[in-house]
Amino acid sequence: MTTASPHTTAPDKELTRLLHELSAPGLAFSDQVLAALDEQEAFPADAIRELDAFGLPRYYVPAEHGGALDDFGTIVRLLRAVSRVDLTVAAAHGKTYLGAVSTWIAGEPGQAARLARHIREGAVVSCALTERHHGSDLLAGEVTAQPVAEGNGGWRLTGEKWLINNVTRADQVTVLARTDPAGGPRGFSLFLVDKSRLAPGALNHLPKVPTYGIRGADISGIVFRDAVLPADALIGEPGQGVEIILKALHVTRTGCVGMSLGAGDRALELAARFMTQASSQGRRPAELPCVRREMGEAVAALLLAESLGMVAARSVHALTGEMSVVSAVAKAHVPAQVDGLIARLLQLLGPYGLLDADPHRRFAKLERDHRIIGIFDGSSFVNRNALIEQFPRLARSYRKGRWDEEGLAEATDPRAPLRPFRPQELRLISGTGASVVASLPAAVAQVHDLAGSSASHRLVDLAERLRGATDRLHEAMAAVRFSPRAVPGHAFELAERFELCFAAASALHLWLRGPAVTDEARLRGCLVKALTDLDEPVDEADREDLDALADALLSAPPGTVPSLLDSWEGTTR
Amino acid sequence: MPESGIETPTADSLRSWLIDCVATHLERPADTIDTSLPLSEYGLDSLYVLAVAAELEDHLDISLDPTVMWDTPTIDALSEALVQELARSA
Ligand SMILES: Cc1cc2nc3c(=O)[nH]c(=O)nc-3n(C[C@H](O)[C@H](O)[C@H](O)COP(=O)(O)OP(=O)(O)OC[C@H]3O[C@@H](n4cnc5c(N)ncnc54)[C@H](O)[C@@H]3O)c2cc1C
Repeated sequence: MTTASPHTTAPDKELTRLLHELSAPGLAFSDQVLAALDEQEAFPADAIRELDAFGLPRYYVPAEHGGALDDFGTIVRLLRAVSRVDLTVAAAHGKTYLGAVSTWIAGEPGQAARLARHIREGAVVSCALTERHHGSDLLAGEVTAQPVAEGNGGWRLTGEKWLINNVTRADQVTVLARTDPAGGPRGFSLFLVDKSRLAPGALNHLPKVPTYGIRGADISGIVFRDAVLPADALIGEPGQGVEIILKALHVTRTGCVGMSLGAGDRALELAARFMTQASSQGRRPAELPCVRREMGEAVAALLLAESLGMVAARSVHALTGEMSVVSAVAKAHVPAQVDGLIARLLQLLGPYGLLDADPHRRFAKLERDHRIIGIFDGSSFVNRNALIEQFPRLARSYRKGRWDEEGLAEATDPRAPLRPFRPQELRLISGTGASVVASLPAAVAQVHDLAGSSASHRLVDLAERLRGATDRLHEAMAAVRFSPRAVPGHAFELAERFELCFAAASALHLWLRGPAVTDEARLRGCLVKALTDLDEPVDEADREDLDALADALLSAPPGTVPSLLDSWEGTTR
Repeated sequence: MPESGIETPTADSLRSWLIDCVATHLERPADTIDTSLPLSEYGLDSLYVLAVAAELEDHLDISLDPTVMWDTPTIDALSEALVQELARSA
């Protein structure tokens, strides 16, 4: 089972074409229809039906269970394609994948096969971890499941899960419940609850919660009252719930990146469209140097996030044991980077947006919708906390120059065949640290070797500065000491820097392994952006690289955004 | 923490290494650590304690499933489990 070569029609391309057709006025994916639903806080049911008809659910099911998923990158690209049009729809549809992952990772073959069949037939799966008084702290959960004395060993589930995406619409819900009254990391278990198999009155739904963004989504709650679950509802072994869900989060947090990248695409596209329209004075805002610079920085931010996203998605297969680091980096960095990009573009659009209310409103919806990505499935803080816990290991691997070369080569070369994803190789903390970053000094040395031939001296200089910043960062990371539950504030800044180094290293590796034609200017833009965010000195000559990226965006055909994928597979759209 | 593994770790040598390691994390004297109490009693929460597994891996130069810290939550039980693990992987 290897990846389809990029030359066969990729499902995300097909989906993008379909979404384009369906965005004609009056159809399910048109701006007007989606904006109206958002205003009414109504669920985008037609859009969801179209995605079902396209067969999107089959990509939520791994190939070994009869689905079409053999490359995690496919999920990321599909979610990106939907998010480019509407994040409410993406969150509402994609949630089924998030709900199912625990069963793919730890379920019995029969259980996984049943769920696979349901999903292919259109079942909605939700994942209920959060409770009214407990979110990030999974070990505080109060929903309980007790073994049923009579019969052949079922479970009795009681309590409330609240603030859960799709939980009212769902046919099946993955529920984390306390199975040992004393709690602790072995005190919880995971259940796949099939609502249709529960006795009447065993569950109640709670009303939809009004939200700041993704207003049409079904964000609600569920109450179980002595709901008797069959024995085969248990996922994995009793007591494994926290371990399984933490591992599932390594996968789903990586998938969330697709939603942010899609939102980023949309933000750039809307901004570019507006900036290239003539204002009332007959001048196009894009002609202003400050606008061009700001747009260039936004393109660089998205390319940087995309580099990280591409490598992270491939790492699910190739560097599985490092996902505790990779997923935390991806989920902390990409939504934050895209939030920042949207905020800066919104400010840039401000005065001009007043002349034409429409793009501004779409932009404002995008801003609201995207905010949630940095909160659910583990907030940026929670992910940074997870990185900080691994600082000693990361610092050590970097200092010793220890990395998994084979996994790295596979993760950073989009043309390399991908090994199948083996969930049993997921580990709660990375055994090897972060190969992508530990190998940065070697990658920079490679750039040196290319100096004057395929690498410009400017690139060598930027790569060298990145290496210097990464060296210093790891010394600071090694010096962080803290006692339990007392993570010092400055460690969160270091985690943020680590994410930037990881993203920049991803871009560099991708370039080094890329086809000879790969555009060096894009890589330079990524490095300039990373160095800027790392507070490294960046001069005017460096920033001119950003202007080149702005030109690439502003001269692109309508509806397209520069992507790293361009150099690998032609244009993305 | 020392860089390389000790010669042939015994339950005793592992126990005293773990006591020092935990005492360092908690910033308290080693002689106040009771090896028969779960580490969570000292406030080493379930994620933090995984970092101790990483240190153990580096110290012993072996690969451990970090959840060993959850399944054998006292220093005594952990030392015994590690001796067996080392014997298996030797
Ligand atoms: C639209 C929407 C959809 C959602 N969908 C789902 C769903 O489908 N399933 C589900 O289970 N939940 C879902 N949630 C819940 C979401 O995952 C939680 O809101 C989130 O986990 C935070 O939990 P909390 O609100 O209890 O905040 P808390 O956990 O109390 O956190 C409060 C603040 O402290 C920070 N924080 C927490 N721990 C740490 C730490 N260790 N270090 C540093 N900072 C920390 C947090 O980032 C946050 O800023 C959804 C929420 C929303 C808004």
